[in-house]
Amino acid sequence: MSETVKSDHAMTPAEEGRRVIGRSCPRKEDERLLRGDGRFVDDVQLAHQLEMAIARCPFPHARVRSIDISRAASVIGVKQILIGADVLGQTEPLSVLRPVPGAPALPYYALAQDIATYEGQPVVSVVATSRAIAEDAVELLEIDYEPLTHVSDTLEALSPQAPVLHPERLSSNLLASNTDRRGDPDTRIASADVVLRERFRINRVTALPMETRGIVAIWRPGAHELTVHASTQVPHLVRKQLAEALRIDESCIRVSASDVGGAFGLKLGIYPEDVLACLHAMALRRPVKWIEDRMEHFRASTHGREATHDFCIAAQRDGRLLAITNTYTTDLGGWNSSFGSAQLSSVVFTGPYRVPDAQVERRVALTNKTPIGAYRGYGQPEVNFALEVLVDRLARKLKIDPLELRRLNMLRPEELPWTTPSGAVYDSGDYPKTLEMAAEAVSYAAHRAAPKVPRADGRLIGIGLASFVERTGYASARFLAKRGSQFGAHESVTLRANRSGGIDLYTGVSSIGQSSETAFSQLCAEVLGVDYDIIRVHAGDTAASPLNTGSFASRTLIAAAGALREAGLAFRLKTLRLGAAILQVAVEDVTLDGTAVHRITAPQSSVPLAQIFRQAITGQGIAADETPGLEATAHFEPPDAAFSFGTAAARVAVDPETGDFSIEKFVMVHDCGVAVNPLIVEGQVRGALVQGFGAALGEELRYDRETGQLLSGSMLDYFVPIAADVPPIELLHTEVPSPVTTFGVRGVGEVGTIPPGAAITNAICDALSGYGVEISQLPVTPESVWRALSKEP
Amino acid sequence: MSANDLPVTLVLNGEQIDTSVPARMHAADFLRHRLGRTGTHVGCEQGACGMCTILVDDRPIKSCLMLAVQLDGTVVRTVESLAAGDQLNALQAAFRRHHALQCGFCTPAFLMLATSLSERKQALSSEAIREEISGILCRCTGYEGIVRAISEHLSQTARDAGGSPETPT
Repeated sequence: MSETVKSDHAMTPAEEGRRVIGRSCPRKEDERLLRGDGRFVDDVQLAHQLEMAIARCPFPHARVRSIDISRAASVIGVKQILIGADVLGQTEPLSVLRPVPGAPALPYYALAQDIATYEGQPVVSVVATSRAIAEDAVELLEIDYEPLTHVSDTLEALSPQAPVLHPERLSSNLLASNTDRRGDPDTRIASADVVLRERFRINRVTALPMETRGIVAIWRPGAHELTVHASTQVPHLVRKQLAEALRIDESCIRVSASDVGGAFGLKLGIYPEDVLACLHAMALRRPVKWIEDRMEHFRASTHGREATHDFCIAAQRDGRLLAITNTYTTDLGGWNSSFGSAQLSSVVFTGPYRVPDAQVERRVALTNKTPIGAYRGYGQPEVNFALEVLVDRLARKLKIDPLELRRLNMLRPEELPWTTPSGAVYDSGDYPKTLEMAAEAVSYAAHRAAPKVPRADGRLIGIGLASFVERTGYASARFLAKRGSQFGAHESVTLRANRSGGIDLYTGVSSIGQSSETAFSQLCAEVLGVDYDIIRVHAGDTAASPLNTGSFASRTLIAAAGALREAGLAFRLKTLRLGAAILQVAVEDVTLDGTAVHRITAPQSSVPLAQIFRQAITGQGIAADETPGLEATAHFEPPDAAFSFGTAAARVAVDPETGDFSIEKFVMVHDCGVAVNPLIVEGQVRGALVQGFGAALGEELRYDRETGQLLSGSMLDYFVPIAADVPPIELLHTEVPSPVTTFGVRGVGEVGTIPPGAAITNAICDALSGYGVEISQLPVTPESVWRALSKEP
Repeated sequence: MSANDLPVTLVLNGEQIDTSVPARMHAADFLRHRLGRTGTHVGCEQGACGMCTILVDDRPIKSCLMLAVQLDGTVVRTVESLAAGDQLNALQAAFRRHHALQCGFCTPAFLMLATSLSERKQALSSEAIREEISGILCRCTGYEGIVRAISEHLSQTARDAGGSPETPT
């Protein structure tokens, strides 16, 4: 957009009564989805389409001695079979979008080369006229595996006895480690009145979107054009990664993500199967489809969370925190996926507290398990669990009420902006207010005043608090560059007038359930002063959207709000100018209201947008000094990340005999800055909370210690919350606009995953305080509580 | 019709269908890939997630656990049957009003299950609705919007049928 915004007039905000921000507008996405007319990747069905199936390594660690494809190749309908040597010759390893600083690149090819490092790693791909035939052929492959010594446990993987997974690049299974430090925590710890150390273990879970991954690849050799329909959060990044892996120019690739059936971080970047489907399509010159089945999904799609946090907290006798150190090890699995294991624990490890001296060290360990990837929260739920449980333990040790201890140490509004020990800047907020609101909503004072005796049903009541600060968005492209990240911090939109009088909004942000079509339309309507209904969003197609970043890290709206404002203001100004010319008045004398430009002093004198847009598009009848066309593109990078914050409180009833417990109330007080659409905000927070309950209370991808096999690798063995599992939730909000974003928004997509683990654990430990129960491990289950009560390991 | 195909005759969303299917094809794949009704989704093929829920002879069924040939002689309804022309039906409208969907992948399944509930013409408590819908997973919404939408709709259908409009508690 060459046009610059000069007139203050064009920046007049929407008039009162026309405000669209803050309204719960009906979602743009709903109608097609409600009518069964969404287009998910498996809904794409093409003539002459072939289908792919994958043979996967059944062992956690194995050498592929030989592969005999002859019987499989003779199955009628089988079109092509690829093995490791084929992809070695034709492709580059999968690139990492968010590398670990200082880590060597591991050559992760689409099919295992000599050695497979996790159960589920692709070894052979087969394409046939149907998925059933392709699967039949996979059964007939003769693959000779030599099982190798495996290591499943995160910390054992770092011991000198462990088999080294990638000896050609690394001398141990430590991929890299990074330390952030401020002040002199060691000296503070040495001289503190009280020091607590504890190891916390966080379970390996999976995002489990209801739609698995999938791809349809179409190659037109004459046009040198690869069209990819993918279920992804980042179409433009998939395009980049495919171009690199397939050794073709980006200009040859179009990636289109239509509807995406949930993603949660799992659909960030390419996987081996994406490369394979494209390779087959290019060789066979026919469309190739691959839809992951759920058994594959549990082994081949990235897992999340698994980490061990060694925390040390030092305080004065009066409760004031002096220092925190946290050395944590994230489990990476067998390879470095596009986003690798979580990195944000290092950013928020001191939580909302005033901690002058602190150090955090992140270590990344390779194990013979499915690669870990981004999952909603990306390190923040993990570290929140450890820190907030430890804060309660410190309170018990000091005999200070946990609410009081938080009050004492929590950053006050006037102390913000606050630079954390790892260098992030908490922008603004009233953290203590959320603490007080949560305490009140859960009747904290009454609970403390009540005698600690069992109820009639024998259960003890406990209340647990968990406060948090959450990074949403990225600090800047400069920040990302320092860490080697392969993407920017900006978001981009194009607004284009059409001849029906509507506005087409083009974005590379695909629709994954986050409601960005709706939120973008609301912001666009607000800036332009047009009706929400005349905006149509075209999402997720790299051929029809400006080159953006994508939907992850609670960053989309933070950055897109700025892009929408800039593009919107430019679009509005030109629309007003063209309208004023038609009405033969000065641009200062007109305004835009809904679907027409009219004179401010004489609203009946108006010209419909359809007429203005047609004139602009044809160039007919516009002033000599106007250029034809009415279109604006803007790219916007916010000056910094915005930090959401809040406090959760859980009230539980625990049976001290059996360890069984129930959550009787869960309060979530949360601030996401200005809420563009309150109904969507509520939906995001509730949905993420329930994922948080699942991960805290039962979800766990367990591996057998002896065999290294995944034990909970199907929906019959891995339980996510059903409707009847969800406890009563009370949502409360504060609204402190962020100074670093346009319109004062903060991210909201991930926050609910953060506090459930700590709040529930603290409540259980509170209920059982008379029994000296401490819990340092997720998930928390009746069994783990019973073990803690029985002092069983 | 290949050697392994079997004939199947059914009424799908009011339309008579006479065709043949491979013996091993399940009903959800048949609806999606043979008949082009892609509103019915597939999430696990184990009967665990409920994405493929349809109505067979007015009963909610997980269609991945059923072979296509078992649809022979049945009356089948899928999500495509709900809207009348361009108009969402009352249940769909309630889902929209209550933000009962985010990514929308599970939505057709919940709509069909809720359709069968609404045909009982009986209001249900929120707890009862939570139990009734617990065979279908939603990973986005946390279920609250779904429960609210179904609750409101069941109260309305009960009222319309002259039954008790009161939601039992």
